[in-house]
Amino acid sequence: MARYPATLTAANKQGYNEEKSFRGNKGVPRQSLPPLLAPLSLDLEESTLKIVVCMKETPSTEVPKSLGADMRLARNPGDTIINPFDEYTIEEGLRQQEKLGGDVVILTMGPGATTEPMRRALAMGATSGVLVSDTALAGSDAVATGRVLAAALKKLSADLVLFGQSSADAYGGIVPAITAEFMGVPLLSFATKVEVEGNAVTIEREADVGYTKATAPLPALVSIAKAINNNPRYPSMKGIMSAKKKPLDTWTLADLGLDAGTVGTGAAKERVTGATPVATQRRREIITGSAGAAQRIFDFLVENKVI
Amino acid sequence: MTNDIWAVAELEGGKLKNISLQLASKAAQLAAALGGQSAAVALGQGAQAAAAALGATGVNAVLVSESDIYDTYLVQPATDVLAQLIQQRQPKAVLLPATVTGRDVAGRLAARLGLGVEYNVTSADVAEGEIAMVVPAFGGQLNVNATFAGDGTRLILARQNAFAATKTGSGTTTETLPAPAAPANGAKISGPFGTEGATEEGHMTTVNGHPQYVPPPSRSNVEEAAIIVSGGRGVGGPEGFADLDALAQALGGAVGSSRPVTDDEWLPHHHHIGQTGRTVKPELYIACGISGAVQHQAGMQTSKYIIAINKDKDAPIFTFCDLGVVGDLKAIIPELTKLVQDYKASH
Repeated sequence: MARYPATLTAANKQGYNEEKSFRGNKGVPRQSLPPLLAPLSLDLEESTLKIVVCMKETPSTEVPKSLGADMRLARNPGDTIINPFDEYTIEEGLRQQEKLGGDVVILTMGPGATTEPMRRALAMGATSGVLVSDTALAGSDAVATGRVLAAALKKLSADLVLFGQSSADAYGGIVPAITAEFMGVPLLSFATKVEVEGNAVTIEREADVGYTKATAPLPALVSIAKAINNNPRYPSMKGIMSAKKKPLDTWTLADLGLDAGTVGTGAAKERVTGATPVATQRRREIITGSAGAAQRIFDFLVENKVI
Repeated sequence: MTNDIWAVAELEGGKLKNISLQLASKAAQLAAALGGQSAAVALGQGAQAAAAALGATGVNAVLVSESDIYDTYLVQPATDVLAQLIQQRQPKAVLLPATVTGRDVAGRLAARLGLGVEYNVTSADVAEGEIAMVVPAFGGQLNVNATFAGDGTRLILARQNAFAATKTGSGTTTETLPAPAAPANGAKISGPFGTEGATEEGHMTTVNGHPQYVPPPSRSNVEEAAIIVSGGRGVGGPEGFADLDALAQALGGAVGSSRPVTDDEWLPHHHHIGQTGRTVKPELYIACGISGAVQHQAGMQTSKYIIAINKDKDAPIFTFCDLGVVGDLKAIIPELTKLVQDYKASH
């Protein structure tokens, strides 16, 4: 498992970060490395921190949603965006990389083509992308999704795995825990602050008053709460140009050593049997003007036995 | 697999959360319909003390494990205990709260034992010997009917206020469970921090250089509240939330908000109600200076009564409220607070 050597000094760390950024930028010739660092490079290679951000592609929020004949959300691959919660996660991954060095890999399960959301994530500054794509994945439930992600994360030797708090199409918020369990690693969920120090990660999580902290050894999963409020960056023009040349691998289930019978519709234990539009009747009594309004609201509360 | 139904309680700081009683009540009801036994499981500090209230919901048994290990590590000890119990006793279904902790426990159980899990459930009943559920989709515009297939315990993550709490029980047995060992690579909890200056009254503080209004703990948990007084941009600033908090206090409710309010840090983030925040289903929702964008609507549209106050007569909120007032919050809220206080003092 890739780790920082415990003895890495601050000065070495600085050099190590530079090493990493050279590696991630093919435009800079390798010989421009300060010669002093060259003998260290072998050891430092061992200590690369690998941050993996799990990203979901969700239907654009602008597009009206409907259920298909198979009772699943009808998806149009051309109309997907980065799951809005995952933008905070990508931003957090990039900020951690700026502090600690290492790589940020974007991992997603998708229909196969190189998609806009993946390109955008790379344009924001991620190092590379991995797309797990296989026709057998269609209809996968949360458990199968976690199974596949865990296998891919193990193959990537991920140290710090970041998830969004949930997806904006399903709102399950359970895939991080499922993935953590399959990997046999801790999950620190709903983080509003993330700090990696040595071999451990500490998060803060909002409580009703104040906050709590939780600390776990790496490798670990962290899910990022929207409340982290970190203003996800927009891709720069330079970022957009360089994203086109960044490594993007596509893996199948066979690449992950997974049996197709453990994923997809066949493995799912949940069934959708129907759906009905929600129609709530509201009274819509509208009054205009502040005078007498408080009395009318008060009367409404008494009439309806709310107080 | 048996026809037994369990409910997993949630304790916070040794206190039983309301949703625990709702889940236990539903477990009793489902088990009775299936001809099985019902149980509530309480893990952590305060579990022993919570047994009586859980038993009163009508469950046949309360399983208790009182240990500080559950409050020392995130979800792993609870997962270990529940996984072992489920394997040994094979309940038909386990109801868990759709909270951060509930989701993490359910996710780990589903992966460890290979179980099906349905989330954000708002209704659960027995139909033809199976559990039939309703799950809202597309921001609450659609109710999806869901069920389970195959063998294995069903895991059901239910939303706050999905089920009514009942008090029909007596003579419940309490069984004490052993506490698990510390997990090998556990996520260790510390805190709470940042509670200095927290009072039973709301107060102004400064976060990242911005003024922020902090309601007290009793008016902070929007998911548990039966009445929510919620504010949007129209409140004008963090100071304006003191008025809303006073009304919430008078009504015995909590303070909520729309997204811009927490994005601008006028209130702490856990007050945010909407698609990307909390989903609530209170008896009464008073929307103050909230325009009513679909994202906000998604988080509160199943409230029993919705009252809206807004200066803009064209605000979308007026299309889905029971009572709407086109008027000025600053005049209306303090007057309403006084009316409620006077009423409560004389009743």
